[in-house]
Amino acid sequence: MSPQPQAAVGAPLSRVDGRLKVTGKAVYAAEHDVDGAVHAVIVDASIGRGRITSVDTGDAEKHPGVLRVISHRNAPKLPYRDNAGSNNPPGRRLRVFQDDRVLFHGQPVAVVVATTLEAAQHGASLVKVRYDAEKSSTDLHEAEPGRPTDYARGDAEAGLRSSAVRLDLTYQLARNHHNPMEPHATIARWDGDKLTVWDKTQWVMGTHDELAAVFDLPAESVRVINPFVGGGFGSGLRCWPHTVVAALAARETKRPVKLVLSRKQMYFGAGFRPSYEYRLRLGSDRRGRLAAAVHDIDAETSSYETFTEAVMGAGQMLYSMPNVSQAYRQVPLDVNTPIWMRGPGFASASFVIESAMDELAHELGIDPIELRRRNEPREDESSNLPFSTRQLRECYTVGAREFGWQARSSRPRARREGDWLIGLGMAAGVYDCGRFPAEARARLDADGTAVVEAATSDMGPGTYTSQTQVAADALGLSMRTVTFRLGDSLYPPTSPHGGSATMASVGSAVVDACDQVRQQAIKLAVEDRESPLYRVDAGDVVVRGGRLHVQGNPARGETYRSLLARNDRSHLEARGNYAGAPSPARRSYFAYNATFAEVAVDAALGLVRVRRMLGVYDAGRIISPKLADSQALGGIVGGIGTALLEHTVTDHRDGRIVNANLADYLVPVNADVPEVRAIYLDGEDNDGNALGVKGLGEVVQVGVAAAIGNAVFNATGRRVRELPITAEALL
Amino acid sequence: MHPFSYTRASDTREALNAGRRGGRYIAGGTTLVDLMRETVERPDSLVDITGLPLSEVTETERGGLRIGALVTMSKAAAHAKVRTLYPVVSEALELSASAQLRNMATIGGNIMQRTRCTYFRDVTADCNKREPGSGCAALHGVNRTHAILGTSDACVATHPSDVAVAFAALEARVHLLGPDGARHIPFAEFLLRPGSTPQREHALRKGELITAVEIPALPRPLRSGYLKVRDRQSYEFALTSAAVALHVRGGVIREARVAAGGVGTVPWKLPAVEQHLVGERPSGALWSAAAAKAADGARPLQHNRFKAELLKRTVERQLRVVGGTK
Repeated sequence: MSPQPQAAVGAPLSRVDGRLKVTGKAVYAAEHDVDGAVHAVIVDASIGRGRITSVDTGDAEKHPGVLRVISHRNAPKLPYRDNAGSNNPPGRRLRVFQDDRVLFHGQPVAVVVATTLEAAQHGASLVKVRYDAEKSSTDLHEAEPGRPTDYARGDAEAGLRSSAVRLDLTYQLARNHHNPMEPHATIARWDGDKLTVWDKTQWVMGTHDELAAVFDLPAESVRVINPFVGGGFGSGLRCWPHTVVAALAARETKRPVKLVLSRKQMYFGAGFRPSYEYRLRLGSDRRGRLAAAVHDIDAETSSYETFTEAVMGAGQMLYSMPNVSQAYRQVPLDVNTPIWMRGPGFASASFVIESAMDELAHELGIDPIELRRRNEPREDESSNLPFSTRQLRECYTVGAREFGWQARSSRPRARREGDWLIGLGMAAGVYDCGRFPAEARARLDADGTAVVEAATSDMGPGTYTSQTQVAADALGLSMRTVTFRLGDSLYPPTSPHGGSATMASVGSAVVDACDQVRQQAIKLAVEDRESPLYRVDAGDVVVRGGRLHVQGNPARGETYRSLLARNDRSHLEARGNYAGAPSPARRSYFAYNATFAEVAVDAALGLVRVRRMLGVYDAGRIISPKLADSQALGGIVGGIGTALLEHTVTDHRDGRIVNANLADYLVPVNADVPEVRAIYLDGEDNDGNALGVKGLGEVVQVGVAAAIGNAVFNATGRRVRELPITAEALL
Repeated sequence: MHPFSYTRASDTREALNAGRRGGRYIAGGTTLVDLMRETVERPDSLVDITGLPLSEVTETERGGLRIGALVTMSKAAAHAKVRTLYPVVSEALELSASAQLRNMATIGGNIMQRTRCTYFRDVTADCNKREPGSGCAALHGVNRTHAILGTSDACVATHPSDVAVAFAALEARVHLLGPDGARHIPFAEFLLRPGSTPQREHALRKGELITAVEIPALPRPLRSGYLKVRDRQSYEFALTSAAVALHVRGGVIREARVAAGGVGTVPWKLPAVEQHLVGERPSGALWSAAAAKAADGARPLQHNRFKAELLKRTVERQLRVVGGTK
């Protein structure tokens, strides 16, 4: 196969759907114009745990416009078949309206369906639910953890005992919510036994499979459509109960039903990043060589499902050390089930590990970057595999140079500007990028345009654009003649749009499909007596701008259009495939970063203001530099939120979330976002993907909170081991 | 949302008539509509007063300013006289809410806005302000943002307004018009501390309309400013805030006006701080000594103990910023 010229890949292109989005023509889940749709509003449990003793729907049912009120008293039994291969964690998933149990504050206990949204909302406020409340348990520090997941190499306790320097540090990480701009929303319509759902999701196939399982439908009877996602950050990675509620309500009322979660309901309806208590004990010699680490990790999960995330990975492979032990315990609480949120696991672990490394550097009087260099592993010590690529040292070098790290004083409180103390901090980041099975279909039409389809998603990274770039180059077409379609379960299936896996996975399938189509065209040409390419070696033909020609001899060739017309072919088509990560793994495949922060702290008032941030990324090949910058900026903003602002607060008396709105749950606003810069190291990582990529969207948030926390320490001498870092911790 | 009727008043008389019959006045609606959506507010009838002629900022004969009740926050903040005579007012306004909200919200509505207490805003929680006698969930609940001054066992909710803190500091007057005619009352008497009746938040009589807030003339030169301390740099209510106005002549502080926000159930005037300043020469030591009295009488709760110290530091900082001495 000839190497195709890369014209679109690597170019800083604007989003192909940008105009649609800024003109309001991109249609999001709740906006699909489904004929005859009525509105559903969920009634949320107002206790943290217990039983429903009565549901008085009389007033609601009398309200004009209300069609039906559904609760466990009148809902049909739903099959809730097992759904293996889904993102449902182990356990027994929440079954809507199937019994009188309340498992968490805000659980759906009824739904009101009405002809207007206003009637449904008012109807929901008229439903009177009575409960037999039990004491709920929502405090991570008070509840009993479950059985741990363990990891060990060497003898960590012995390693600690014999270490010259020992740190014993406990960190608290607040619960965070994704808070995408677009709320979760579903429109469900039944046509006989066939169910069509427009649903905000990062995985149409996942929603498809779950609905088929819940209602026990054959796969071909369910279709899930979601062409645009208004942000996700992970909240759309599984099918949530409200989607089932919408489908159930549509079936019961025999009308299409639209259900949009309120902002408040987003706090208990669609998962969150769990809170952690993370104790880390580190042992090193006086020169900073790590000898041992013991990780005791407690994290929230629900009482009905055991949620896990990759919080153990970084501690096993980021730094070289002979002795590691880890115990990761899920603490079942009366809360809804968490879900992965940007940089899942790694972002939480990195705050702990990278803060601790900074503490160790300070303790030893070693520059934090130098300390990390001294512990750089030669191979992945968790798997004993060689790294596919690992340019973390280069990240440090470039970052230190570009950020002006040499200006940092190792002594805290050394730099003051008026009331502000200025500090610099850094952290390393790592993320285990996914590579999952995916398929794609490419079709080249006689008019020389192409359509490529895959049932993937675009929650914001620009999948539409980047996959079009990949397809355009593989087909030898210009960007504007290629259309990439996603977000429909009728398209070839893919794995979830998450884990930074989409480019490596879907992109590889797209390349495969497009390569096949291009090869079909080349074969057609070289075997066609009337083609200028007749009898040319297929391996010598490239396609550029829709024209096939001999490599190095652009004059000899012809266009797709003339080739297909002469051969009376309406189109060429192929289905591409990507099998997923190599199995067994041959290399250790991770993306890395070094993140730098400069903060100003008003020590008298406890205010932290981030002034500058830089991320240097080792993420393999960058397909779309402009989109990459959006990812880096977004990840850093998310990290600023985790570091300084974001904190879902629960009233442990009854499990109520008390800041379930965007005025009280603080995400960074523009004023909180300083100068942010991203640098991508050159390089390709060809471990098992056609594009040389490692994935970027997750790793950009990993390490950000630690870099900020370390900068706060450098500014003030105060080590805050609890996120977010708030004024009261610095007074 | 509870069903309601909506009428527009074309003149003041019409508005007062509707108000007397129980209609709730609505102007920018940035608080009221929000709370109606949460079903915290359930008015049967709304009277839109945005057509009334209350949108002027005028100078009073004595050299004060009268800000019409329907002047938007953004207009008031941008008004040249407000900016030059009372920077503390324009700064407080510009540090409030967001640009979109400031374009909608009015001065009259701003001082009427209701607390951000999460339990008040959640109809499934106990709240004496919303449902007298049901209890105060905040007292032993999550109360980081709650008040430490002017609280009672019935209510610890903070008054959220910034500009009301400036008005309190400057000893503004609230002009009212009711069925029995016009009257005005001192700002300090307009907003009520909760006591045992937290549902009563202001001194308005039934159907009474706020027509203006008047800032009295103060001796010149007057230096003033507002400091707002909060977690996020914009679009957040104050953890603590300080409104300070100082008149210094001959190197001596002749007049001092100081109030605090984010800490009281009402905007919290600080007479002890003021008294400590008057007659003294500006100095760092003076600011510190005066500010030390800022949290006198504070009753901190479980999660807001830091506010007493933060309040003192906030006042001290703003005294220094306005007083101009280290």
